[in-house]
Amino acid sequence: MVLVVERPHRPLASQALVRMFEARKRVFVDLLKWDVPVLDGRYEMDEFDDTHAVYLILLGDQGEHLASARLLETCRPHILGDLFPSLCAAEPPRAPAILEITRFCLDPSQSSAQRLRSRNRLVSALVDYALGRGIATYTGVAEMGWLQQILAFGWRCRPLGIPRLINGKMLGALSIDVGPDTPALLACAGIHEPVALASMPEREAA
Amino acid sequence: MFDRVDAFVRDIREIECEAELEAALADVCGEMGFSFFALTHHVDMRQASQPAVRLHNYPEGWEEYFEDQKLGRSDPVHRASQLTTVGFAWSRLPRMIHLTPRDRQVLDAAGDRGIGDGFTIPAHVPGEVNGSCSFATAAGQALPDEHLGLAQLVGAFAFEAARNLVRMRQLDLAELPRLTDRQRDCVMWAARGKSDWEISRILGVSRDTVIEHLRHARDRYGVGKRTQLTVQALFDGTISFADVMRR
Repeated sequence: MVLVVERPHRPLASQALVRMFEARKRVFVDLLKWDVPVLDGRYEMDEFDDTHAVYLILLGDQGEHLASARLLETCRPHILGDLFPSLCAAEPPRAPAILEITRFCLDPSQSSAQRLRSRNRLVSALVDYALGRGIATYTGVAEMGWLQQILAFGWRCRPLGIPRLINGKMLGALSIDVGPDTPALLACAGIHEPVALASMPEREAA
Repeated sequence: MFDRVDAFVRDIREIECEAELEAALADVCGEMGFSFFALTHHVDMRQASQPAVRLHNYPEGWEEYFEDQKLGRSDPVHRASQLTTVGFAWSRLPRMIHLTPRDRQVLDAAGDRGIGDGFTIPAHVPGEVNGSCSFATAAGQALPDEHLGLAQLVGAFAFEAARNLVRMRQLDLAELPRLTDRQRDCVMWAARGKSDWEISRILGVSRDTVIEHLRHARDRYGVGKRTQLTVQALFDGTISFADVMRR
């Protein structure tokens, strides 16, 4: 199941969020060595984890974190628009129907085959979420190796600018168009694994 | 110049055959200040076990030399590109891998055939054989440094377009060897050096069951030995180095 947490009042409002922030610390800080803040020695959390963020969290049968992603509104502060605008040849895209995908996180406790499966389910959920919410485009910043994988998901991608070396990493910006044909494109690439989306109950989110 | 890449990305979305991709690459390659391109999976094309692609406009005779020397997997540029996800200039090769005398011969042979300096964009897709897209100048010409970022982008999108073509072709091909989850688990533990008995303890099944799983897995790959099985499974991405090296 993919839990959809939209604009939580508190960042650690539920077990699923707590586990996601812990997994993000293991992936982005411990494994990938990103220079991002860690709270309490346990949670990777930054200034964009606020009451406007949306999270998609893929949970296992026991409620364990398998994968997650954070979506940011592009009309508000976000990573491409505010941290890396130089990755765009023109102005960074900003519109209500454009969300930025950030912190795409695959739990490292899984084998590589399980990680690929979780990745496919999360990508499929991102597409279903966009279609359900009238989101036409996702944007994102990626290191080149990850960017190549994003292209391989089969959905329709366009580069937003020329990749640049920033803090020792070659980064590029992409825009991904999502439409009614996107699930079929994912299916062609062998990526499509639809999974039920569930919203977080109000009382937990409060 | 970004507009040019943007147009390239839109053009290659519509292509239906390798010749069209080759033509699009040749155009953009020239406009970025290179003379040659080569987009390839890192396999021996004459006996590739997976559908693979190789497009290039290298000088006459180079591909034959390349295949005769069985360079698909051992080519120094290909080897170096397994180590990184970011484009690199061939002049950096000695700092990336240990160049053997034979590697130097290969690089010299490329120079003799009119190939100058190059820039290679690695392309790694999990679960698949690695590949890359290279752009090279004519011998004696310097790399167009100002366009290396563009080349990086063109390489990434071109490789994905090539994967798409392979996928379209693949629909006609027989199924590739595919293991069941249980077979895969056994192969992974075998690759980590575990005996049949140890694997049976780890997975909580009988030793005979493990032996059966591994026998079926060898049959699917058409190999006779445990080592060949684990190497094949690593090579085609059925198991990953991360699985095998994890402590």
